[in-house]
Amino acid sequence: MTKKLLMIDDDPDFVAGIKAILDNAGFEVEVAYNPKEGLHALQTKQYDLLLLDIMMGRGAEGIMIARKLRKDVKLREMPVLIITGMREQIAFLFPGEPIHPRFVEVDELVEKPVEPKMLIEKVNSLILTAETKKAGKK
Amino acid sequence: MTDTISFSQEVSNLLYAAEGEPIKTCIQCGTCSGTCPVAGYMDYTPRQIIAMINQGMKEQVLESNTFWYCASCYHCTVRCPQDINITELMYALKRYSIWKGQHKEGLIGPTFSEAFVKMIVRGGRSFEPILAPSYIFSFGLRELLQEVTNATELLLKGRLPILPARIKRLDNFKRIIGRIIPMGGLE
Ligand code: SF4
Ligand code: SF4
Repeated sequence: MTKKLLMIDDDPDFVAGIKAILDNAGFEVEVAYNPKEGLHALQTKQYDLLLLDIMMGRGAEGIMIARKLRKDVKLREMPVLIITGMREQIAFLFPGEPIHPRFVEVDELVEKPVEPKMLIEKVNSLILTAETKKAGKK
Repeated sequence: MTDTISFSQEVSNLLYAAEGEPIKTCIQCGTCSGTCPVAGYMDYTPRQIIAMINQGMKEQVLESNTFWYCASCYHCTVRCPQDINITELMYALKRYSIWKGQHKEGLIGPTFSEAFVKMIVRGGRSFEPILAPSYIFSFGLRELLQEVTNATELLLKGRLPILPARIKRLDNFKRIIGRIIPMGGLE
């Protein structure tokens, strides 16, 4: 079955690139360009994975979405891949290495720019991990 | 969920709880520019900037000093007949240009913002004697001397602290920031 992904990211150029890669790899990708639209989509439809940007709107609004997911019994089972360029965006604040976010059960953080092969691998393995976890719970 | 979005939509998405595209409803009446105390120093007036955003003139908007010169006085916002939050728009443009790393050279705004945020993260609060020199060295000697004169007067009158005050439980504060944003390097 085709896996359905949601991408929440405010940068149209970046979205176009990532979406093309994932479309090519056979995923169905929906896009929300702002946190509000994204949250609405998450609450009304079902996705196999969320690709989430951090710096949006008034600041780190991607984090606010991740926190909302954590509180939602159903949504917190969905795997999340955070793709962020924030270190480059506000590098003066974050010179170190990114830390594993652990907002939901299955998540990971990668930094922009993303290498296509790595992106597809990560997406596949996150979906698999989440499915295995879910199956184990039953 | 459209295929791609325009510059004015991108900017609208940066506004707080953006409903649709508020900027699109501008009727170009010029009330904002007429009321703005710094319009005379801006490359483009607030009204012009809004027209340019709606025309998708991204490069010219980002290259301008307009939003960095905005003093956040909120006069324009209070008086806009279309209820456009122009001040918030100016902040949105600052974020946009910082995040994209694209802004006019030689402006105090970006350097000052950086120095300010760094200081808050390190010490938990603002400390002017460090803040001032960290950005003022990028500018002229005359401005620097003027600042030093002002600072000395403030010091003598007891209005400027000599040592930076650190907040209590600074470690906690840093941990909180680390939890909000999953990035390292907060030392
Ligand atoms: S006051 Fe409002 S409607 Fe008039 S030009 Fe300015 S933004 Fe547009
Ligand atoms: S808030 Fe900014 S743009 Fe608006 S009137 Fe004041 S200085 Fe001008």
